[in-house]
Amino acid sequence: MPLACGLCDKQAILKRPKTGDALCKECFFLAFEEEVHQTITDASLFIKGETVAIGASGGKDSTVLAYVMKILNERYDYNLNLVLLSIDEGITGYRDDSLESVKRNEIQYGLPLKIVSYEELYGWTMDAIVKQIGLKNNCTFCGVFRRQALDRGALMLKVDKIVTGHNADDVAETVIMNVLRGDIGRLRRCTAITTGTDGALPRCKPFKYTYEKEIVMYAYFRKLDYFSTECIYSPNAYRGFARAYIKDLEKIRPSAIIDIIHSGESLSVKKEVKMPVQGVCVRCGYISSNTVCKACIMLEGLNKGLPRLGIGKTHKERLKMAEQIGEKEDSSINSQNLKSCVSDHFRPKSNSTSFEKNQLDSFWVQISQSGQSCCKSNTVGCSCQRSVVCKDVTAGIQSSVEQQKINSSVIDF
Amino acid sequence: MCSVEEGDTDVPFSKSRPNESIGRTCMKCQEKAILITRVNDAFCRSCFMVYITHKFRATVGKTKLVRDGEMVLVALSGGPSSSALLHLIQEGLSERTHKKLRFRPGLIFIDEGAAVNLPSSERLNTCEKMLEIMKSTGFPCHIKALEQGLDNDNIQEFSSPPDICCPGSRLEKELGTIDYDTESILSDISTATSSVTLDMSECSISSSIEEPYGNSREAIAVSSMSRVESSFQKYEEAEEKLKCLLKSLNSVSSQEDLIRTIRHKILSEVATTCGYSKVMLGSCGTRLAVTLLTDMAIGRGGQAAVDTVFADRRYKNVMFLRPLREFSSKEIGMYNALNDVESVFIPTLTTKGSDGASIEHLTEAFVTGLQRDYPSTVSNIMRTGEKLSTGAEEENKENCAMCQSSLDTNVIAPSALNAVEFSQRISSRGDNSDSKRDHCNKTGECCGEGDGSCNSTRTRATKQQVLASLCYGCRLAIRKLDDVEKLPLYVLKDVFWRVRREKMKSEIEEFLLDTS
Ligand SMILES: [Zn+2]
Ligand SMILES: [Zn+2]
Ligand SMILES: [Zn+2]
Ligand SMILES: [Zn+2]
Ligand SMILES: [Zn+2]
Repeated sequence: MPLACGLCDKQAILKRPKTGDALCKECFFLAFEEEVHQTITDASLFIKGETVAIGASGGKDSTVLAYVMKILNERYDYNLNLVLLSIDEGITGYRDDSLESVKRNEIQYGLPLKIVSYEELYGWTMDAIVKQIGLKNNCTFCGVFRRQALDRGALMLKVDKIVTGHNADDVAETVIMNVLRGDIGRLRRCTAITTGTDGALPRCKPFKYTYEKEIVMYAYFRKLDYFSTECIYSPNAYRGFARAYIKDLEKIRPSAIIDIIHSGESLSVKKEVKMPVQGVCVRCGYISSNTVCKACIMLEGLNKGLPRLGIGKTHKERLKMAEQIGEKEDSSINSQNLKSCVSDHFRPKSNSTSFEKNQLDSFWVQISQSGQSCCKSNTVGCSCQRSVVCKDVTAGIQSSVEQQKINSSVIDF
Repeated sequence: MCSVEEGDTDVPFSKSRPNESIGRTCMKCQEKAILITRVNDAFCRSCFMVYITHKFRATVGKTKLVRDGEMVLVALSGGPSSSALLHLIQEGLSERTHKKLRFRPGLIFIDEGAAVNLPSSERLNTCEKMLEIMKSTGFPCHIKALEQGLDNDNIQEFSSPPDICCPGSRLEKELGTIDYDTESILSDISTATSSVTLDMSECSISSSIEEPYGNSREAIAVSSMSRVESSFQKYEEAEEKLKCLLKSLNSVSSQEDLIRTIRHKILSEVATTCGYSKVMLGSCGTRLAVTLLTDMAIGRGGQAAVDTVFADRRYKNVMFLRPLREFSSKEIGMYNALNDVESVFIPTLTTKGSDGASIEHLTEAFVTGLQRDYPSTVSNIMRTGEKLSTGAEEENKENCAMCQSSLDTNVIAPSALNAVEFSQRISSRGDNSDSKRDHCNKTGECCGEGDGSCNSTRTRATKQQVLASLCYGCRLAIRKLDDVEKLPLYVLKDVFWRVRREKMKSEIEEFLLDTS
């Protein structure tokens, strides 16, 4: 006997993975969309009139996200300016199909699309990176670069916020993963629905409580067009352990994913535990808990022909790298085509540590005493006295490195 | 697109190298090494023993929580860890030890045979074995049965000298067949049960040193016989009630969770009534890592810290201590082997099950599997736990009526809990069986006093009222439960107390000032 929809008595065609309720297609769509809307309003994710970039990979999560965002924006009058933002890592063959899929979304959903390439952002395509470092560690690169790429691309588009398709399964995995590696800083941060509120561009996860299975279901019944992507440089990262564990858990208790998220949300960290301070990278201005962000270290390695830089395992190695970079900072700032003036990134940010603020203060004092003005425009050719800036940047990095040697809890790569 | 996020590829654990102790020498004395402990330290036998005992003393001593002469209830499960704990305590108390432990231990074993449907003969057998082990130490000892946790009134009202044991198993049922030794357990029943009407399983054994066991046993045995017979039925009922409750949970994971809760409740009650201010648990680090991850998986993340910390202060008058939390199961195994410490095999819910038999079982397989390949797994997980707050410093926190940990359900949206509730609301019409039942089952019927003092018609708690008093994890555990009346009495009492308080509060609400 066919099961009746629990909401409208029409014939049910699916059982919701999240609640076990039998629903018809229309009622499922509605429940799915309303839940996302509920999350958006509960968390006050957006303000009317904002421009929001949807991180679009062509995969299922972002395709469904783009679709649902468009529907909700119209239905509830969010009054948001939605744009699709795609990153082209420069992996031959890999991106072609998914970019095609994003381009189709652009037309179907009537949303503007911007594609930013690694080459534009970093001067390196993933293919070129792989050529230099081999297949083994490339996911470290593409993971680190991609995270920044979205932000940098979003900055170029001058948007207010980024939304990503991270779903409940992703969040639960990250929680378990961070428990497994004892990373309390990430463990605390990873359940936040919005990250990077101070300093960097805010990133939100409207699908935080949405099951991956329901996203697939939604795409399937809505006949949404997506490209099934797995990174071809297949990650054998141990996220896989957490993923397999959760899949097994779900077989025993279907609510496991949301239970884990609840667990993650109800953790509280001891007051005396020092959390890694989220500052900004002195080189690129991107949010980082270290003086120099991971991407910059990696780029440095690539540019200097030391590709293993930044993918080392121990803190000691990383510190050494940071030091090396610190020493080289002088020359590299001059030699590199920085997109913005260093001083711009070196301005005190609300989230800088007091240590950093002191450093910055003294830096500004020096500049004003010597009567030099530093440009604030994001031009390549900065007219300020580079040597002054660079000397202080170098000093800043080195004393930061010293600081980190003393306080191991601020190290968090 | 690559699904790897920043940080994913940090490799936190190093792959284990085959680092057998063969051919290596002890890091302390250059003797031939017999094993390698966690950080690749090779030890010979005597240095290993020194290392272990030192670590144990340091763990117990460094917090200065255990005072000289303090009575400490040591929970034994029969397993390797608690057996090692008992041995370490005995060694530490012995005169030849130069840095002697100075607390006064009592031992307790909880017979959980009812939960796994063990035949009474086997339960009896296990209890006898455990009793033998406990008696040989000369410490006061207690035996309880899990089903006694369903009706804690008996434990509460039971006042007896601390050296009295309470064999809660079906020892009595076997009266005809049991030997002299076990009969002697029953012999003192009357002394212990004089104040107890309902629970026949409270009985005593005079195993303390001061009072050599066995005096005037026959006379008492005779006088207690009739009482044994009469209260036996009550005992049967409790066992049935427990089995019925566990069965209606409809999930091995939930059963395990509830058993853990009841077990802790019994421990804290026995400790309180018998004058112990501390309870020592034998969980080793490996076990606690499994507990922590299991907690995360079953929505008890907020309790993960309390469940794994050295000093667990969740219960009102009793502190739970975990002195073996710095030990790996490997170290425990080695310690037991070197000292001929025997453990008693006791079947659990998942003994014969596959990895997927329960969440805890799965997690155990997962953690031990990872640990094999990545030896820092357990210490990484424990490091996570160490940085988590137990919430002990928070004032005025409300506790779960069932497991006594702080309520984690008063969360504001957006939260996982709210999201789930919203999902349930929006994908069903809300006419579920619960609300129907509430309708025809009004609460608050009383003789007219209105304060519940008469107890004439005991009101039935609604599932909503019960759920409102429980933490997220306990809610999950009893989600499938059809009738909340099956829950332990202490839970229902607590729920009623809360309901009454709510009612009182609503009556005086307009006069209350906002102090927040
Ligand atoms: Zn319907
Ligand atoms: Zn990748
Ligand atoms: Zn940077
Ligand atoms: Zn030695
Ligand atoms: Zn609870």
